[in-house]
Amino acid sequence: MGLIIETAGLGRAFGGAIAVDALTLAVSPGEIFGLLGPNGAGKTTTIRMLSTLLPPTTGTARVCGHDVARRAGEVRRHIGYVPQQVSSMGHYMLTGREKAEIEAALYHVPRRRVQARVSELLELVQLSACADRLVQTYSGGMQKRLDLACGLLHRPDLLILDEPTLGLDVQSRHHMWDHIRSLRDEGMTVLLATNYMDEADRLCDRLVIIDHGREVAGGSPAALKAAMGVSSLDEVFLRHTGHALREEVG
Amino acid sequence: MWSQEVLALSRRWLLMVLRERLNLLFSVLQPAVWLVFFAGAMGGAVDARIVGTGDYVAFAVPGVIAFTVVGNGVSAAMPLLFDKETGYLDKLLSMPVRRGSLIVSRFVFQVGMNSAQVLLILLVALALGVRPATGVLGVLAILAVTGLLTLALTAAAMALACAVPSHGTFFAVTGFASLPLLFMSNAFVPLSAMPGWMAVVARLNPLTYAIDAMRLLVLRGWGGGVPVSLGALSLASGLLLALGWWQFARRTSERVA
Repeated sequence: MGLIIETAGLGRAFGGAIAVDALTLAVSPGEIFGLLGPNGAGKTTTIRMLSTLLPPTTGTARVCGHDVARRAGEVRRHIGYVPQQVSSMGHYMLTGREKAEIEAALYHVPRRRVQARVSELLELVQLSACADRLVQTYSGGMQKRLDLACGLLHRPDLLILDEPTLGLDVQSRHHMWDHIRSLRDEGMTVLLATNYMDEADRLCDRLVIIDHGREVAGGSPAALKAAMGVSSLDEVFLRHTGHALREEVG
Repeated sequence: MWSQEVLALSRRWLLMVLRERLNLLFSVLQPAVWLVFFAGAMGGAVDARIVGTGDYVAFAVPGVIAFTVVGNGVSAAMPLLFDKETGYLDKLLSMPVRRGSLIVSRFVFQVGMNSAQVLLILLVALALGVRPATGVLGVLAILAVTGLLTLALTAAAMALACAVPSHGTFFAVTGFASLPLLFMSNAFVPLSAMPGWMAVVARLNPLTYAIDAMRLLVLRGWGGGVPVSLGALSLASGLLLALGWWQFARRTSERVA
């Protein structure tokens, strides 16, 4: 397959405010690609466009070979989107297994394969023992793992993770990273939006830093650090985006 | 594929309701309270010549059914309202799910729930001595009327849920609108007993036609009035469905973060 994500001059304006401006991305199969930027830089808007939730106002984006605006249905079949907010709210009265089975049906996993596929994924994220407990009794880490499993039900070509370790304890973060790495090792392409530089440094093969909707730096974590002669990605990030606090918008 | 989506979503709606037992119990009991305590007490204070029957409970049964459907219409939009606020709607919309399935599954579920509740109301009414004039076929016709009214109110509530900024506004609007909607109809008082202006407003209210049809089926029998009321109700349902669909499409095609 060609590029998994391919954007050209991708942009999105809300009224007069430009959230994303002429973004050009190229993500190859099998890589973990990081999307970094301060709050309000345009990460969320970019993810919303790539996951077909928001049409671009300028430029184009192709995901798994399909245009996100004109072939949204095809794109949705190929992506697994794991949102930032844990989805316990809408599911607090469902068990982990029920939530996964319902989502498997919504991803059109053939009826007779739903149960096996759900069990397989709950096993993968180590939730088998708690599969029949209500989601509201899950810890934050368990809910994130359940959401990850649910993003994999239909064997997507691209996994879109929005802050997959937000609010998790150290053990859960390491577990989540292991899961993401082993998915990559099996050939999965991952788009990872994160505010944690250590996470990006450990996981990403390549990344872009965006600010005010534009790319300000891109490359592998090692190359970015070497170019500036610094040892941490934090330093790279702050030099590119400054120290001023940001208002959260978009 | 389409049926798989609707079934899966309906399963979610059903599980969410069944797990909240107390909520379910009280919603199911509510209409019985209206029939026994409200209609039972009001009956003595009502002039049989005005309502057209000496059995006020029988007169009030369609009103109580309509009131129940209005109340359930409000809760019909709750999952959409909260999925919107928790961000789960985004997850749903990122899946290869037909947009229509999200709405249709809600209709299927609400019509099922309301039908069960209407049968229960009719059973309570039966215990209070109310025998529908049109018999078992009449009961099926009442279920059909309730189904149409459910479509109309579910669509209206979903449209509102799409349009409001948060659930606070939704509950303020529905809380305000429910009672006038009910009292500006023939639910508990015939149009002929209302002040002229109110009767005019009540004639614009879809509830009036649903209640009219059900009341004829309970008190009188199959008559010319039934199809006329059903026609008016179908028209109102059609308009509200179009409104609901338009709002939902607007909301799901472009959601500003």
